[in-house]
Amino acid sequence: MTDFEDKLLDILSKVLLLEKDKITDDLRRKDFEPWDSMNHLIIVSEIENEFEIFFEDEEVVDMWTVGDIKNVLGSKFSS
Amino acid sequence: MNESVEEILKPVREDPSYLNLWSAYKRIQGLDLPDTDDKDALRLAVIGSSTLEPLAACLDIKLRLEGFTPTTFVGGFNTYRQESMDTNSPLHKAEPDVIILAVDAWSVLDQMFLSTFARTSEKDRQDLQKQLVKDVASVAQILEKKTSALILLNNFILPVFSPLGIVDNKQKTGLKRFFEGANNQLAETFSDSNRVFVVDLDSVAGEFGKSRITNWNTWYRGSVPFSEEFTPFLADAYLRYVRALKAKTKKCIVLDLDNTLWGGIIGEDGIEGIKLGNAAPGIEYVDFQRSLLSLYNRGVILAVCSKNNYDDAVKVFQEHPFQILKEEHFAAMRINWQNKATNIAELAKEINIGLDSIVFFDDNPVERSIVSQAHPEVLVVDLPKNPRLYRETLESLDVFDVLSLTKEDMARGEMYAGKRKRAELETSMDSIEDFLRTLEMKVRIKPVDDFDTPRVVQLIGKTNQFNLTTRRYTDAEVQKFREEDNSIVYSMAVTDKFGDEGVVGVAIVKKKDNDWWIDSMLMSCRVIGRSVETALLAKIVKDAKTDGASRIIGEYIPTKKNPPAAQVYENHGFGMPAQADENGSTWILNLETDTIDVPEWIELTED
Repeated sequence: MTDFEDKLLDILSKVLLLEKDKITDDLRRKDFEPWDSMNHLIIVSEIENEFEIFFEDEEVVDMWTVGDIKNVLGSKFSS
Repeated sequence: MNESVEEILKPVREDPSYLNLWSAYKRIQGLDLPDTDDKDALRLAVIGSSTLEPLAACLDIKLRLEGFTPTTFVGGFNTYRQESMDTNSPLHKAEPDVIILAVDAWSVLDQMFLSTFARTSEKDRQDLQKQLVKDVASVAQILEKKTSALILLNNFILPVFSPLGIVDNKQKTGLKRFFEGANNQLAETFSDSNRVFVVDLDSVAGEFGKSRITNWNTWYRGSVPFSEEFTPFLADAYLRYVRALKAKTKKCIVLDLDNTLWGGIIGEDGIEGIKLGNAAPGIEYVDFQRSLLSLYNRGVILAVCSKNNYDDAVKVFQEHPFQILKEEHFAAMRINWQNKATNIAELAKEINIGLDSIVFFDDNPVERSIVSQAHPEVLVVDLPKNPRLYRETLESLDVFDVLSLTKEDMARGEMYAGKRKRAELETSMDSIEDFLRTLEMKVRIKPVDDFDTPRVVQLIGKTNQFNLTTRRYTDAEVQKFREEDNSIVYSMAVTDKFGDEGVVGVAIVKKKDNDWWIDSMLMSCRVIGRSVETALLAKIVKDAKTDGASRIIGEYIPTKKNPPAAQVYENHGFGMPAQADENGSTWILNLETDTIDVPEWIELTED
């Protein structure tokens, strides 16, 4: 696991109260009750602070799964 | 504490980051803990104009870190007004002990307020300012009336930006003065309230750095008003009120001497060699002492615990020209070669306070760790190596808060120092009468006035030892006794050559037929053993005779704590009639045959 992924999992694990190894790419916001809008807000801002980036409103809305977050995050660093 | 809660708090104790605080909050909410009623339980409500769950979360967890058990309610977004007015709302159902009311000025003001401010007339600005204060203050007033909670009302943050730029303060009500004035009005509105406290959010924000208090991403996304860094910082500001409410504040600072109150070691460097002066070297120690003295002057008790030869150390107090704190400022001293943990336990006993109300300052990390291991309840300050930071360390502790300051609270330091000197004098005297005679006591006894009534009510509420009937009366009941013709409430103030004790005694007399009944008689333990109760009885006897009464009747109702008062009537010549049982005894002084005189060593004033 990359350092980058580990930091992301650390945030998700602390906010969603899931062990890191239980967090899969297909974990979906709509299907997982603790991932409510308040927690989504916290996840997004913690990622922004940790990686010193910022997300557009559309990007925040379109983060439906853990995989989506990784993709958006990846695009921030490749561009 | 619940074991799983302690497990959850562990990572927060190691790193109290926003993420860890939030995570712990969510975990503990998930435990669905039962409500408790123990003394550390606290029902908290956070309501206001924005998304306040993060603030509530940080405060909830920080309260837990300090040993409280909060149940936290968070109000809906911008629904604080309805929630406050409707007594059936979830807010009222939560029966909060503490309500935080966080209303952003910009949510109350017109949306075009800032845009049009430069062209708004002076009169309109003042009207808008009044309206803003009224809108927010009225909610706090409703809560004050409809709940029994302590209400913490945020004031307004003075904006950094003004369209008027550098000439903002050339106008009578420039933008900054608009908010400054509103804050002054808020503070004034509640200055007499003992339930509504205006939290100086502007100053907390300024201390943190106003440019960093908001994360604009979360503000625009979710109306979260405070940034991830500022939210925990702000939570600390509210904690101060909770500590004061729950009497968890510190009362006494125990100080080391060498390299703490002055630079260097007195036993080696001598009085000329230590660093202490109005210029470098040593000005930082003088400043630290001045700050300590400022706390002493409002009622924080000071004490000394130092490994030194007593005479060397005391010489600094007596002779050093720049020494700010003198012997008279210390309630107790332990200057010896004994273990500091033992010394601190003795100090606590001598001053008669709990170890949990003590703060310990010592430059030596070894001494600090000995004390904190022996007494985990003592707040051992992690003093920086650099003495130039001592003062700042002291001033940012924020652990001495009280919700109100009486005159007696403010003079607490003098009282303890007086107590220490009296004890020294007493041991040097051959007889108790010689001792009392040298005290030069002055006692003022009179029907209580408006000014002293709060103190009298305080004494009635908390005096346990020298209290003959332990009847507790509310402020309203005491007022009633004062107004009625057939009752008198006496207050007694005591001064001697070592200091002014303030009001320390109370008697409530009720007249029935030709008898004066002493319904209540009580005295602070600070003046026990100084025969001032004789003066109080003598005054009652004198007034009763003037009034034409024939007898004075006193009762003694025993409790676990009041044996010190058991002999009072017997010792003053009262005779006990037949009825006396475990519920108490009744004592009679016949004024036609008996009297009580003021002791010759007490000067009585009766104005």
